Amino acid sequence: MNLTVSNPPHLKSKVNTPFLMKQVIIALFPAIAASIHFFGIRAVILIANCILSAMIAERIILLLGKKPSTLNDYSAALTGLLLAMTLPPSVPWYVASLGSIVAISVGKHIFGGLGANIFNPALVGRAFLMAAYPKILTTFINPSSVDAISSATPLVLRKFSQVITPTTALFFGKISGSLGETSAICLIIGGVYLLIRKVAGWRIPLSLLLTTTVTSAIFFIINPNWGSVWFHLFGGGLLLGAFFMATDPVTTPTTKRGRYIFGIGCGLLIMIIRYFSGLPEGVMYSILFMNALTPLINRYTKPRRFGV
Amino acid sequence: MIRIAEYKEPQHNSFSEKFHDPSKLYLPLSQHTGAPSKPCVKKGDQVSEGEVIAKASGAISAQLHAPKSGKVIDIANWYHPTLKKAPAIIIQCQDEKKEYSPRKDKDIELLTQEKILKTIADCGLVGMGGAAFPTHVKLNPPKKIDTLIINGCECEPYLACDYRLMIEDINKIFKGIRLISKLINPKEIIFAIEKNKPEAIKKVNLLINTKKFGLPPIRSFVLDTAYPQGGEKQLIQLIIKKKVPPKGLPFDVGVLVHNVATCFAIYEAVYLDKPLVERLVSFCGDALVTPKNIWVKIGTTLQELVDRKILEFGKEPKKIICGGPMMGIALNSLDYPILKNAGGFLFLSDQVDDAQEEPCLRCNRCVDTCPMGLLPLEYVKRVKKGEYASLSEFNIVDCIECGCCSYGCPAKIPIVHYIKTGKKYELNSK
Repeated sequence: MNLTVSNPPHLKSKVNTPFLMKQVIIALFPAIAASIHFFGIRAVILIANCILSAMIAERIILLLGKKPSTLNDYSAALTGLLLAMTLPPSVPWYVASLGSIVAISVGKHIFGGLGANIFNPALVGRAFLMAAYPKILTTFINPSSVDAISSATPLVLRKFSQVITPTTALFFGKISGSLGETSAICLIIGGVYLLIRKVAGWRIPLSLLLTTTVTSAIFFIINPNWGSVWFHLFGGGLLLGAFFMATDPVTTPTTKRGRYIFGIGCGLLIMIIRYFSGLPEGVMYSILFMNALTPLINRYTKPRRFGV
Repeated sequence: MIRIAEYKEPQHNSFSEKFHDPSKLYLPLSQHTGAPSKPCVKKGDQVSEGEVIAKASGAISAQLHAPKSGKVIDIANWYHPTLKKAPAIIIQCQDEKKEYSPRKDKDIELLTQEKILKTIADCGLVGMGGAAFPTHVKLNPPKKIDTLIINGCECEPYLACDYRLMIEDINKIFKGIRLISKLINPKEIIFAIEKNKPEAIKKVNLLINTKKFGLPPIRSFVLDTAYPQGGEKQLIQLIIKKKVPPKGLPFDVGVLVHNVATCFAIYEAVYLDKPLVERLVSFCGDALVTPKNIWVKIGTTLQELVDRKILEFGKEPKKIICGGPMMGIALNSLDYPILKNAGGFLFLSDQVDDAQEEPCLRCNRCVDTCPMGLLPLEYVKRVKKGEYASLSEFNIVDCIECGCCSYGCPAKIPIVHYIKTGKKYELNSK
């Protein structure tokens, strides 16, 4: 008899890393469908380009480090997909590819690969592009036009022209903006799916969304020109950020209290940037900033000891 | 807390069997928490069933009895599930049966507290839910007990012996509870059972409603099926909403928890003068043709059960586990004896999981499911780096090793393995 001896437990759940990554990709399907509906073949090419570039970058980096391939855990594909969702549909192919490569190399592997990175890799890629190609990254096209006619996003319109986009347009996504950010309803469907399947925790998205809701409600009551609650919830990258970026387990706090703090911090920073800074949108920088604070949050939110 | 597949069929519904004529018995001197018993027989001695063969040594220890008449053929090191090898008394059994005749209820009523406690101590009773803490010590707490909790949760998957006992012998369990309540005078008794044991719940409620045992206020408490709520601290937290302090014991919050099998053993000890020489054990897993619940003599080896065709393998077992799948110990042969606290043995074939360990995603599943509110991923990180000194900062000693963290880990990290390594260091450094 050939018996295995190992420490308990001897039962393991079926959930594994590739399963979780695949679930997040599945949760993005509605938003992907919306992006294809609004931006057509541009969306298909941009998504395919980002995913492929990310996977090739991952493979090459691991080959250089003489490590086994990790492509089958879908994490590189997910990083590429998430980056694509945050880019304007009109970005040139080489910009998108470069973003993916930076996301995988600088965002992930410099820190030691999966599980070791401090910042959300997709957002690192986007932040790099924002610095390198600010004009390209802030030029958006109108979803209904056949040609790429540049058109301002709702957040830009509010901030610099005092024009408030109707909520229904924000809700269904017929607005200009980043590829995967325009349709609020599709992102909500995906986000709720993640929460129901217990792929993402609920503490961060809930506290983030509640913070933005409360803040925007207060400001709206003071002066409606600040934009309504719905406007701030459905506009820009808030929902994509709340459900898909701020829930990245690797770069967010591990303690329960820490996750509330992370969500509230993100929410407040987003609103501060939207209201008072020179930028129309602040989801990316807020999440990256809170990523940097994560080790500190972890240290000061250790759980209370059982029975004390 | 987690929800796991229960794997309770078919043993949940199979009537208990008996195996009372082993040829040899291996009785380790350490079958309980505390000091090992001291042998009071020597090689070549003739012993009769129920005779003391090793005496309790020290305040926390337990008596050991010959489960069967026979001859002591050796006192030597033998396989032990937790100690690997440990001194054991080996008995060559003879075919002789001892009858135990029960005393009358009214005679029992005349017994004093001291007499009951002494009988329990003399009979070598230990907690049969797994911890094996000497029962007479537990029944003599230094503080007043308000609540007595009877633990019929059996939250580990597969195991069914407590369930069968509740179905087949609930009257005797209640008589045992009556004896415990005579000893500690609780204000209230709570019988805790998980929802997946409907027949036992029915029987318990029926007996509670007859009120014929003269017990203090007693009620049943049906819990959702979740793991590890059969653990003392978890059960107390769930039922009376109090948390046992770190390094504390249930009596610190005025509670005493006893397993149903222990209550049954108390009945047998006091009513029959029968020492703890046999117990009901679940034998389950996909390698067995028919999973069973069997009354076996303490000290019977698995090998004997297989040789005598009591257990039959349909498939070659790849893993044999003493205890449940979540906290049980993997064995490397069939030579291990059944001890007083062994509620079950698993023989797994296809259900063996051998996934490779991957990098931690910090997904928090271990944090969210930890019933002690710990940060299991921090232990893994620190043990891997060899930073043992920082482990106490995260209260590693509080870990009850229930295995929820390893169970749910998507990266398949054997978290409990790392925690055990860390705990060893923590203990050695003190």
